[in-house]
Amino acid sequence: MKLNRRHFLGASAATGLAGLSGLPLRAQANTLNVTAYGGVWEQAIRDCFVAPFEAKTGATATVSLGGPAQWLAQVEANPENPPLDVLIMTPDLAVIAAEGDLMDEFTVEKLPNLADIPQEFTDACLGKGTYFDYGVGGITYNKQYVSEPPKGFAEFVERVSNGEFIASVPSISYGPTPVFFLWAMNNALGGTVDNVDPFFEAMAKMKDNLVFWAGPNDFFNHLASGEADLGIYFDGRTWNHVDEGVNWIDFINPEEGGAMTTVAVQKPKHASDLAWDYINEMLDPANQSKFADILNYGVTNKKVQYSEKLAARVPAMSDALLPPYAEIARVRNGWVDRWNREIGM
Amino acid sequence: MRLSDLLLWLFTAAFFVFMLLPILVVVVISFTSAGYAAFPIPGWSLKWFARIFEYQPFIDSLWVSLELAVVSTVGSCVLGIPAALYLARSRSGWATAVTTFLLSPLSMPMIVIGFASLFFLSALGLGVSFLALAIVHTVICLPYVIRTVTAVYRGISPAYEEAAMILGASRFTTFREVTLPLIRPGIAAGCLFSFLTSFDNLPVSYFFGSAQTNTLPVVMLAYMEHQFDPSIAALSTLQLALAVVALVVADRLYGIEKMTVAT
Amino acid sequence: MSLHAFAARHRRSLLLAPALIFLAVFFVMPLFDNSLRSFTAEEGGFTLARYAAFLTDRFYLGVIVETVVLSAAVAAISVVIAYPVAYVLVRKSGRFSGAIIFMLIAPLLTSIIMRTFGWQVLFARRGLVNQWLVQDLGLLDAPLRWLNTPGLAIAALVHVLVPFAVLSIASVLQGVDRRLEEGALMLGASRWRAFREVTLPLTMDGIGTGAILVFMIANGSFVTLVLLGGGFQTLPLLIYQQFNTTRDFALASTMSTILLVIAVGCLWLQLRLVRRQGV
Repeated sequence: MKLNRRHFLGASAATGLAGLSGLPLRAQANTLNVTAYGGVWEQAIRDCFVAPFEAKTGATATVSLGGPAQWLAQVEANPENPPLDVLIMTPDLAVIAAEGDLMDEFTVEKLPNLADIPQEFTDACLGKGTYFDYGVGGITYNKQYVSEPPKGFAEFVERVSNGEFIASVPSISYGPTPVFFLWAMNNALGGTVDNVDPFFEAMAKMKDNLVFWAGPNDFFNHLASGEADLGIYFDGRTWNHVDEGVNWIDFINPEEGGAMTTVAVQKPKHASDLAWDYINEMLDPANQSKFADILNYGVTNKKVQYSEKLAARVPAMSDALLPPYAEIARVRNGWVDRWNREIGM
Repeated sequence: MRLSDLLLWLFTAAFFVFMLLPILVVVVISFTSAGYAAFPIPGWSLKWFARIFEYQPFIDSLWVSLELAVVSTVGSCVLGIPAALYLARSRSGWATAVTTFLLSPLSMPMIVIGFASLFFLSALGLGVSFLALAIVHTVICLPYVIRTVTAVYRGISPAYEEAAMILGASRFTTFREVTLPLIRPGIAAGCLFSFLTSFDNLPVSYFFGSAQTNTLPVVMLAYMEHQFDPSIAALSTLQLALAVVALVVADRLYGIEKMTVAT
Repeated sequence: MSLHAFAARHRRSLLLAPALIFLAVFFVMPLFDNSLRSFTAEEGGFTLARYAAFLTDRFYLGVIVETVVLSAAVAAISVVIAYPVAYVLVRKSGRFSGAIIFMLIAPLLTSIIMRTFGWQVLFARRGLVNQWLVQDLGLLDAPLRWLNTPGLAIAALVHVLVPFAVLSIASVLQGVDRRLEEGALMLGASRWRAFREVTLPLTMDGIGTGAILVFMIANGSFVTLVLLGGGFQTLPLLIYQQFNTTRDFALASTMSTILLVIAVGCLWLQLRLVRRQGV
């Protein structure tokens, strides 16, 4: 017998190790398992999407906290009986999930509100999902130490190389780094998906004045503790800090255009059909503007009207560059390998 | 006091500072009045402790974590203590090989164990469930119990047990009355390691997280990724306070000295 | 060997069965399943190409060496620091033992991210330690770089792993009869010599246990290195990257098989060493 994973797992399950199986692992039919990031995000999901969904359908939704890599693995491990009905995804994982034939097709018949979402966002998920909020990656700085911040990536590279600032940039251990940092900076410096030399040359020039952050809090800690003066970060998160009372932080969308960082929504195959009702609420303009107000991120429904505070903060969709995720997915692992060899952290 | 004692105490004091300094920073931040985590703090407040109790997932997941830590510690003891008793008394190369095997889960990155187990247990139909989580946590806790109990039992002369048997005690009575009290420090250390390892674990629990099975570290990570406020520091402080209470209670009921110190 | 002795011997080995079966099913089988990813070629069929590519690449060989050296260094430092503390805990502390135990478990009860934050507050460029050295004491002209240095990363690893070493040594030390040491003293040995020739050999098992636990855990851990950097590139760190950034599970599986082989090899060597030196 040829030994492969499917045979092995099938045989294991069949040998009666599975005397344990058949437990009531899935909740009742009238319950939907949805996903959310934690903290303020979860609260927004509950208020803006779960509440109207429950009011309209009479069903209940449980919210699983965590992250996309975890959720996708759970669906991959249980493709016939996914433990989750609606997934919040990063754009690159959305492409992987769609290519892996794990997700259902999004259509206007199932999701009336999809008609008001730019088609390119659904295309970016290969038709099996769409984006519902977006931000932009750019330069966040400490106003106490940086009076005239760099206006774009090129100026950032030049002034950090000269030793004017210590900059905190994302490390390769952080999932979105290859796109929102590597691709965006490389693009701004004249590179292409197939030529990332400009990025690596810039990193070599800056290397003595760089520190690396492994997660968003880490970046804030670098700025708050004075380890770094400025760095590469996200707009919405910067504004959240401002709203928490951090008065020394500010953000600039690089003049070359920062990378649009989005959150995608997808429905696993074989997940409950109630998911369509829920996802339709996620794409609803009224619900989305409420969501944007809480999280300081742009939302994707074209009918959304932002509040005054938010209108000043959210970059127009045209001011952020939508990275070619599918193209990047082909070469990304090569980028990561090169980063490991040349940069390390 | 002799010079050597003085040096020992000085060393221990320096160790104390090393262990507690970074943690002290966290404790101070948990009492901040600011809306974000930064040091030094602008003023004192208890609001971040109140926030813990407002945020239901913290409380729910704390219970999951406690139950899980207890179940996997008990599981590790049931499986591990007999194995340790056997291994401690055999010297063959085979026993070394078996010990190596039983300890090997320690060196596998937890993220690999979590990921591999998710697929395997899902194929068995256990999927994302508390039972699956308890099984995998027992895998990662078992080595601690085996190793600490083996080490302690090997240091104990078989003469004590032999004497009891000669005096007519049954195998079981000998175990209960002689062996068990002698290996108690090893069991205590193993249980402590096991409990803390399970309670603190993120990479395994992460893969088995759901609305019903999310543990505290998973919820804390998910929370912090999007809301880095001092409530996480307050949670750490609360855990430390609970540990102090547990130690004091254990001391009153049991005498910590009996668990860790020769009497 | 009489039949009776043979039966008795095998009845004893039943003690091992539950743990062995449990780990065979719930540890070996999942990892075996996972390792098949590394042996399966893209188009199906068996392949060793990934291992060949990995083990002939100087960069990855360097990563393997760095992983083992770092874990060994952390284990050695932890044991050296742990011994005196364990000695104080068992022989001297009396009613302070509760406080010492608290201090040992405190790092494990503090969320790793907050603990890292504590290190950052202390050792950042404009952090407390630098402020103290530069402004308050005037010892230095410019702040030192501590974060992202190997030294601080090692210190942070020792910080969370040293409790395992202390408690391992303490639990064995406790079984050592104090009268043996006192006997040596009465026979005229110096305190140092009594310790070195009586107590230390009797606690070899504890030292071995502590070193093994710390080595193994360090070998598999990545979170501290992800957060505090230090410029180390280790196998667990690269494995984490495959889960988090590239989703190259075949490569992750290749690296974890290699890591497991190395770790088990080191463990077996250490155990043989401990057994030979042990009582």
